[in-house]
Amino acid sequence: MSDLDKAIAQLRACRPIPEAQVREVCHKARELLIEEANVVTVTAPVTICGDIHGQFHDLMELFRVGGDPPDTNYLFMGDFVDRGFYSLESFLLLLCLKVRYPDRMTLIRGNHESRQITTVYGFYDECLRKYGSANVWRYCCDVFDYLALGAIVLGASNTLESANEATAREDVEIEVCNADGDAISHFGRRGKASNSDQGSPNGKTERIGPPGSGASGSSGGTVGNPAGAVLCVHGGLSPLIDTVDKIRLLDRKQEVPHEGAMCDLLWSDPDEIDGWGLSPRGAGFLFGADIVKMFNHRNDLSLIARAHQLVMEGFKEMFDASIVTVWSAPNYCYRCGNVAAVLELSEDSGGQGFFARSNGDVGRSDGGANRGVLLDSDEGARRGPARRYRVFQAAPQDSRGMPAKKPVADYFL
Amino acid sequence: MSGMPAPSIPNLLTLRGSRGGSGARGRARGRGGTRSSGTTSTTSMPSHDATIQSTDTDAAVSRMSAVDLGYLEDQYAQFFVQAPAMGAAVRRLPIINRGTYTRTTALDRLIGSFLSATDGQARQIVSLGAGTDTRAFRLFNEESRAKLVYHELDFPAATARKHHLIRSTAALRAVIQKPESIDQTHTWRDEGLANGSQYWCHGIDLRDLSKPDATPLTGLRTDVPTLLLSECCLCYLEVTEASEVIKYFTDRISRLSFVVYEPVHPDDAFGKQMVSNLATRRIRMPTLEEYTDTGKQEARLRDAGFDSVHSLTIERIWEDWISPEEKERVHDLEGLDEVEEWNLLADHYSVSWGWRGIGLDAWRIGPS
Repeated sequence: MSDLDKAIAQLRACRPIPEAQVREVCHKARELLIEEANVVTVTAPVTICGDIHGQFHDLMELFRVGGDPPDTNYLFMGDFVDRGFYSLESFLLLLCLKVRYPDRMTLIRGNHESRQITTVYGFYDECLRKYGSANVWRYCCDVFDYLALGAIVLGASNTLESANEATAREDVEIEVCNADGDAISHFGRRGKASNSDQGSPNGKTERIGPPGSGASGSSGGTVGNPAGAVLCVHGGLSPLIDTVDKIRLLDRKQEVPHEGAMCDLLWSDPDEIDGWGLSPRGAGFLFGADIVKMFNHRNDLSLIARAHQLVMEGFKEMFDASIVTVWSAPNYCYRCGNVAAVLELSEDSGGQGFFARSNGDVGRSDGGANRGVLLDSDEGARRGPARRYRVFQAAPQDSRGMPAKKPVADYFL
Repeated sequence: MSGMPAPSIPNLLTLRGSRGGSGARGRARGRGGTRSSGTTSTTSMPSHDATIQSTDTDAAVSRMSAVDLGYLEDQYAQFFVQAPAMGAAVRRLPIINRGTYTRTTALDRLIGSFLSATDGQARQIVSLGAGTDTRAFRLFNEESRAKLVYHELDFPAATARKHHLIRSTAALRAVIQKPESIDQTHTWRDEGLANGSQYWCHGIDLRDLSKPDATPLTGLRTDVPTLLLSECCLCYLEVTEASEVIKYFTDRISRLSFVVYEPVHPDDAFGKQMVSNLATRRIRMPTLEEYTDTGKQEARLRDAGFDSVHSLTIERIWEDWISPEEKERVHDLEGLDEVEEWNLLADHYSVSWGWRGIGLDAWRIGPS
C-alpha cells in the first residue's frame, strides 16, 4: 500500500494525517492543478456535487449513495471547508483522491476556498486546533489558489437508464432517487411517460411545436442548446463574462478577489429578477432568467449546474431547467434540517449526443420534501441532458463516531 | 459551533474596498479588560432547571460577541462574561451576531416607546428570567429614564451571583450604589437610585409566584404603567405554568403591557431539527409546541387579557424595522455569507407584544 493509499485510508477513518504528509500532498496537488485550465473539461458519466462544508460523515454518506471513487467519476463544485467540524479531513480526503485518481475526481473552487473566509467561518480555527499551528491551513490555502474555476461536462446522455428497471427510458428526463437508489419520481419529456410520472400540479397546458420552431408562441428557443454541454461553477455568472472562453482567460492563481469576474463566478446567485441585481451577500451579483438563457444560448450550453445556496430539498432547477442548484450538505451546520442531493449525468452510449425530443411543457412539479424543486415557469419546455438526482439525508448520529462532544448548533437562548 | 478565532483574525470586509461600504467601523476586539468567556457550559447538569440557567451564559456570551464586533453598544456586557482562562473572546458566527443584534434592537425600541409614552410619571418594568441581562444598567444610565422601578426575577443562584458581581464591580456599583438584601429573602434592591428610580432583584422560582402561600413580590407597584418582559424565559416553563406567571401580573396591574421573545415554527424541517438539537442539550420549550406561529402568539396575548396585540418574526423585524442605512452599517461589520441560513434561523424566532390601559400608539404598527 502506497503512502497515498495509507493517507486515504486514514482520512476515510476521519483521522488527520501528519503535517509533513499534508505538505507533501498539497505540493503534489498543486503540481496537478497548475496544469488544469480555468475551465476543466469532464466527460460524462459524472456525478456532480455541491457544498460539503466539512461535514465529513455526510461526505461518506454521499459516497455510499453516489458510489465510491474511483468507480464513480466525481465533480465537486467547491465549498469543501468551513462551518462543519471536519473541514480538514473532508478537504484532505478529496485532495488525496484527486492526486490518486486525477481523471476521476474534479475539484473546482468555492467562495469558502479563500484565506479570508476560512478565518471567519471555521477552517482556520480547526487547523490551529488540530495541528497547533497555522501551517496546514497555509498549505491548504495555497492549493485553493490553484483550483479550477469551473468545468464543462461533455457527452452526457439525454436518456436515463432507470434505476429500477435497468432499461433506458427515452421519455424520462429527470429521475429522483432516494438514498437506497430507488427511483421515487420521474419527470418525462413529453408528458406521456409512465404512471410514475408526476403530473402537472400547476395545470400547465402542453405546447405545440418544438421550441424556436415558430410552431408555438414559446420563447423557449433561447433557453440554450439541448445538445449542448453543462457548465459547472460554484456560484454563477458575472456581468463581466459573456462567454465561457472569457473564463478561460482569467488569471485564477490568487486569493479570491473582492470583486470582478473571478469573484462573481464564486459568489453570484440566480434570482427571480430581470437582468442583474445587487447581491445581499455583499459580493457577486444576482442574475435573472434572461441572463442565464442568453448565456446558455450563446455558449451552446444546455444547463448550468451550480452550488452555493442552501436548498432544503437538495436540488432546485430554475428558469426552465436552464440552471440547477445542487446542495450536498444534509442538515447543514447540524441545524438546518435539509436533505442533500447529487446530480448524475450518464454517458451517451448511443453516440448521438442530445437532440431535441421535447416539445411539450410537461412534467412540471412544485417539488416535494424528497423530490427537490423543479421550478419551471411558463416559458419553454424542459430539455437538456437526462438528470438523476440522488437525494440523501445526514449520516446517522451513531455512525459519526463522535467523542463525548456532540455537534451542538447555536441558537438564541 | 461557537468559533474562537484569535483577535488577530482579519475582518472579512477590510480588504473589500469600495463596494463593501465604509467598513472598519467595528470596534477593536480584545480591549483591555473586556475579554469574554470561552465557556458555553457543556458540563452535564443534573436538572432541567440547571440546564435552563446555563442558557443565560449562552446569551451573555452572544451579547459580548455582538458588542465586541460593534453590532451593539453595551458598556456593561463585559462584566457578565467570565474572563477566559486562556485564548481570546468568543466570537459568534455572523448570523448569530445579527440575530442578537436584531432581537436586542427590537426589544430596545419597544421598551423605548413604552418609556417615552409614560414619560414624567412613575413606571415599572418587570423582567422575567433576567439572568445576566444588562438592560437595567443601560436604562438607568440614561438621564431621560426617570422614575423607573425595575424588577428582575430569576432563580436565587442567578440573582445572588448578580448581587455579588455588582458589589465587586465599580462600574456597576456606580449605577446601583447600595444593593442591599432584604432579610430572610433572596431579594435585594436599591430604592434610592438617581432620578427617583428603583432597582429590585428577586431570587425566586417563577412557578412559585402563583402558589397560594407565596409571599407577594416586594416593591411591585400595581398602580403604575408596567411593562412585563420575557426574553426567552417563559418558553422553558410548562404552558400552564407560563400562563399562571402572566396571570399573576394581569390580575394585579391594570395598566399593563407585555413583550415576549420566543422561538416559533417548530414543525418545519428547520424547526424539527431545532427541537431535536435543543433536546440533546436537554432543553425543552413547552410553549413552542403550543404557540407555533405569530398568529398563535397573538391569540395567546389576547387570551391573557391584552386589548392590542402584535407578533412578528425576527426575519420580518430585520426586514421592516431596520433602516437601510443601519442594515448597511451592520452588514459592513462582518459581512454575512449565509443568507439562506439567516432567513431560516430568523424565521424561527418571534417578538410578540400586547398592551391594555396604556396609550402606546407607537406600539401599534411597530416602531420604525
